[in-house]
Amino acid sequence: MTLTWTDWQAIAVPLVLAIGAVAVLLVDSFWKSASAELRHTVVTLLTSAVILFGLVFVWAQRGGFKPAFCQPAVEGPAECSFVFEPLTAGLWAVLLVGGLGVVGLSTYRLLASDVPIGEYHFLLLSALTGATVLAGARDLATLVIALEVVSLPSFAMVGLRRDRRGSEGAMKAFLVSVLSTAVMLFGVSYLYGVTGSLYLTTIANRLTGLDPDLGRVAFAAGLFVIVGFAFKIAAVPFHAWLPDTYVGAPIEVTTFLAVVSKSAGVAGLLVLVTAGIAPDGSHLRTVIAILAALTMTVGNLAALRQVEAVRLLAWSSIGQVGFLLAPLAVGDAQAVVGYLAAYVVVTLGAFGAVAVVQRHRPGGLLTDYRGMVRSEPGLAAALIFFLVVLAGLPPGLAGLFTKFAAFQAVIDAHLGWLAIVMAINVMIGLAVYLRWIAELFRLPADDPFSVDIETPAVAMISLCAALTAVLSVLPSILFALST
Amino acid sequence: MSEWLLIALIAVPTLTAVVLWALPVVTGDRIAALVGTIVSGVLLVVSFVLWWDMRRPHCPCTYQLVDTYGSPPRTVPGKLMPDVDINVPWIPSLGVRFHLAVDTISLPLIALTALLVLLCCVYSLKITPRIGRTRSLIALLLVIETGVIGTFAAADLVLFFVFFEIVLIPMWLVIDIWGDDHDRAGRRRAATTFILMTVLGSALMLLGFLLIHRHAGTFDLVFLGQHPIKGGHGVPLAAAILIAVGLAVKMPLWPLHIWLPDAHAKAPTVGSVLLAGVLLKLGSYGMIRILLPVLPDATATIAPYLAGFSVVAIIAGSLACLAQTDVKRLIAYSSVGHMGFIGLGIATMSPEGLNGALYANLAHGIITGLLFFLAGAIKDRHDTSDLRAIGRALYARLPRISGLLTYACLASLGLPGLAGFWGEMLVLLGAYHPADWLPRATFIVLMVIAGLGAVLTAAYFLRLIRELCQGDPAENPPAAFAVDLSRIEFVTFAPLVVLTVFLGLWPFTLLNQWTFL
Repeated sequence: MTLTWTDWQAIAVPLVLAIGAVAVLLVDSFWKSASAELRHTVVTLLTSAVILFGLVFVWAQRGGFKPAFCQPAVEGPAECSFVFEPLTAGLWAVLLVGGLGVVGLSTYRLLASDVPIGEYHFLLLSALTGATVLAGARDLATLVIALEVVSLPSFAMVGLRRDRRGSEGAMKAFLVSVLSTAVMLFGVSYLYGVTGSLYLTTIANRLTGLDPDLGRVAFAAGLFVIVGFAFKIAAVPFHAWLPDTYVGAPIEVTTFLAVVSKSAGVAGLLVLVTAGIAPDGSHLRTVIAILAALTMTVGNLAALRQVEAVRLLAWSSIGQVGFLLAPLAVGDAQAVVGYLAAYVVVTLGAFGAVAVVQRHRPGGLLTDYRGMVRSEPGLAAALIFFLVVLAGLPPGLAGLFTKFAAFQAVIDAHLGWLAIVMAINVMIGLAVYLRWIAELFRLPADDPFSVDIETPAVAMISLCAALTAVLSVLPSILFALST
Repeated sequence: MSEWLLIALIAVPTLTAVVLWALPVVTGDRIAALVGTIVSGVLLVVSFVLWWDMRRPHCPCTYQLVDTYGSPPRTVPGKLMPDVDINVPWIPSLGVRFHLAVDTISLPLIALTALLVLLCCVYSLKITPRIGRTRSLIALLLVIETGVIGTFAAADLVLFFVFFEIVLIPMWLVIDIWGDDHDRAGRRRAATTFILMTVLGSALMLLGFLLIHRHAGTFDLVFLGQHPIKGGHGVPLAAAILIAVGLAVKMPLWPLHIWLPDAHAKAPTVGSVLLAGVLLKLGSYGMIRILLPVLPDATATIAPYLAGFSVVAIIAGSLACLAQTDVKRLIAYSSVGHMGFIGLGIATMSPEGLNGALYANLAHGIITGLLFFLAGAIKDRHDTSDLRAIGRALYARLPRISGLLTYACLASLGLPGLAGFWGEMLVLLGAYHPADWLPRATFIVLMVIAGLGAVLTAAYFLRLIRELCQGDPAENPPAAFAVDLSRIEFVTFAPLVVLTVFLGLWPFTLLNQWTFL
């Protein structure tokens, strides 16, 4: 394979992120003389600067089209392994904002002191590198490798604290991930065998003219690849690892998993579906629609029974993924990116609020939040706002309109049954979050939660709330991300 | 000018709520009811200014006095004929516009909303639930006002949906926090059932809206009113069914009414008043505004079923009332019956039926508001709303309150000369003479059954009066310190009492402006 031409600007962001990752690790390792606080601050600033560079780049180049690692094809346009286009820009914006949020929530005194900060930020930036590559990847090999680059740092982060729960969570996630990679590679090899190409556009072209027997093989192969991704984003029935991993990890890492890792998986699947293996009318899309229905229903129903805040968020994030898969199943990138953006901002805020409570009440039960509207009104109001957005009700119009866009995509694609399942899940999802909100309002509380909240946490949560409020008033921002 | 008034009508309540929450707790609690009263009073005036402005001769959309002796034009009413019109793009990529408009159908309902919120605030000046803070209660009432007025003024289906949903969480909180203080689990369950059923209904309704959008390419009610979607089967039928189910949950029609009795019974007095007086109207208004003009053919297909369920609601609601032992639950179930009449009126698709439905909407809002205020007054004095615990002979113990209760019951059962009569009479007339494309025989049978339901309504209200008000005073000694009608209650109830008589005696002040008669 000869690579003929590359627009280096297209890979500037992943490159800078990777360099930043190494730099952060070096700073932390070779600057032992500085105090922990100073080191933490410098590392945080460095990481933020690298991510901010990415955001500025995305903003500056948002309308552009830059291919990289291309080779002229025998038939049709050139085949490229990596493309920066408006869809990539939208996904990058979401991923980078998520990464920046996680960094902001992991500043000094917020992150547990037993977590080594150099490794932490190194792993975070490495995963972000993988995530950005994943969103721009246009061939199966790059896709698989990028997904691994996202996944491997994630397990390491889950296990960073080296206690029993963390190790268990990391182990579970690792085993599931290895399995899913194996399944995915199996599917990829068959796809290559059937179509003779790894490039998504070429695969899409050749799939249409395939003879029926090979078509069935291609369907099975596509199924394997999708199942591999389903493990990563914890779609039902491949979700069992997620709750334990979320609970076992330090809360900042859980935030990272819920925000960056999950978005990366969805981004990869979106690229795969819209650009390659599941063109309009493919049966694979039906499979994804069924996955979506199962995922949202099981996730929300299980979330109804949880008594721990993080477990509830873990299960409800499975439900949210179901809602993300619904527009994905009909290939509506605009609705997916919009939904993802709202989900990322709100999840950051919600986990930020949970982290504040969890630092002082390690039990993490929903009852710890009792009566918080009186004892800690600011934090309670923000948390309620985030939960209402997740439920998709006013005043959380950002959540309402992203759900609306998902509904619209599904209805316009004539998937009536999925729309009905989604409508029922809106109700179940609301019931999930209402239990928590009701707890916040329940008075009188015996031992209401009231502390001096750390300044960076206040800043981050306020920022998320403000951003969500802006997105609620002007939801068109969300849908302009990928166009 | 009118545009700004309409914007103010929607924005000011919420802004006031925000200001109230921003105030320090003690100050906020002290002045909340007063601020709420002033603001909602101003809003009532504003809504009347808008109404007056529209009825002035310069506006072509209403000033067509119909020759009452000629044959009335039997067109399908409900089409939005915007008077005040605000139309700006909001989310272009989804086809959503911020489009507000009011006309003769929506303005009376907006005025009703403003009036009932005002009365609730006045009532809260002196009488507030024992638990929770007054500040938040008033603020939430104002947010509800925003949602309801916004729904009545929305001229875009998505905007309608958004305002429709704004009401939910505040109402959930009102029931959950300020509800029945003897039954914590009960009020929580009532609140949750209310919000979950309504959310499911509105999600289904949204699917219907999206089907309309897929079919017609727009959410705009004005445009859709001028270019209705033809065809009574397939996609338009599916859309009509989804929208009808969603609105029927809100209205509520049997068998989707199961959230209603608990929610009304457990809510605090002001919550019950707003629930029954205003929130139920969102459902019937939506049917008149969306189903009839946008999907006329599909609505004609489902109209007989809608009418059937409405009549079942009338009978089932009345029978359930006969079995109730709790004043608030009884009034709640009576709402099911009355909303059944409204549903029947809408289903006839005839000018008479529609006028009856619109009129009954307003009359029910006023009378049931009064009934719930009175039930609240009785409950406050006895600390229970159980008929057996309250005992009989209220005429001797609380003569003024029980007199008013009798009056409100008579109005509610449709005594000629009071507000409740005209709506039900017109609805029955409409059922006798339904739209040409509907099966007349079915509707005549339904009319007879509905008439029977009216008799049952009389039966349970008279039973309520006998069980509660009449009886031997000697057997039921008056409770200590039970004050008859306090001044604030008098001030609150008086407008409703006067309006009941007014609407009963001069129905044509309202009926004339619904020009499709």
